[in-house]
Amino acid sequence: MTGAIWGITGLLFASGLVMLILRRELLAMLLGLELMINAVNISLVHAAGLFGDPEGLAAVLLIIAVAAAEAVVGLSLILRMHQAGGPLDARVLRELRG
Amino acid sequence: MAQLALGLAGLGAAFFAGLMVLQRSLYVAAVCLLAVLLQVAVLFFLSGAPLLAFLQVMIYAGAVMVLIVVAIMAAGSSAGERWSRLALPWPVAAAGFLLPFLEIALIVARGGPPSGGLGRTLAVESQVGQVLFESHAVATEAVGLLLFLAGLSLVSGKKRSAG
Repeated sequence: MTGAIWGITGLLFASGLVMLILRRELLAMLLGLELMINAVNISLVHAAGLFGDPEGLAAVLLIIAVAAAEAVVGLSLILRMHQAGGPLDARVLRELRG
Repeated sequence: MAQLALGLAGLGAAFFAGLMVLQRSLYVAAVCLLAVLLQVAVLFFLSGAPLLAFLQVMIYAGAVMVLIVVAIMAAGSSAGERWSRLALPWPVAAAGFLLPFLEIALIVARGGPPSGGLGRTLAVESQVGQVLFESHAVATEAVGLLLFLAGLSLVSGKKRSAG
């Protein structure tokens, strides 16, 4: 069972990483990031069950909360950028302008 | 049965993650991510963490996915173009939502999650509560504050753009 879980974790993390690297739309990059966070959560929950450690489960609980906050901030920034008429493409967004 | 459910959940998660990477449409990617999140909830349940599985469905598959779909709708192209690019065949989309139910049915037919009964689950959850609110209380408070600030930034940004 452990090998299968690690395999699934690796596949999901690699898929998220590929999406983060290859796709240039900001929303698609955010989706890839969420996938990577979920892959890490799977491995943490499995390891917590394996070692009987409740701290792993508590860490996953905190990670879920932080990921929700990250999604809220990221999506609101993307929407603000869209409202300001800016592009939603990471290729175009290269410079920080004051 | 638990091994079969684990295999189905793993295959389903890997399949929809691959589909998510390959699709060009953001809507299809969001639907695939939703299917992956449901499979991850089943994996949490199989690993003996039903509370986390519940929170995964509530927070990720519920709240965060609604935010993502609304953001795609607000920032995306016109409605006609958006839906014409939704190229996910309906049997695949239906499988994404029916697969978790099939896996839960398999687990229930076996007699619950593999890690034990309700007593053990409650004991683990009370230990998690102890870790969160005693030894790591500062981190828990910090995360709560972060969530509050994230909500506040969303509301203040909306007010500023309206005013």
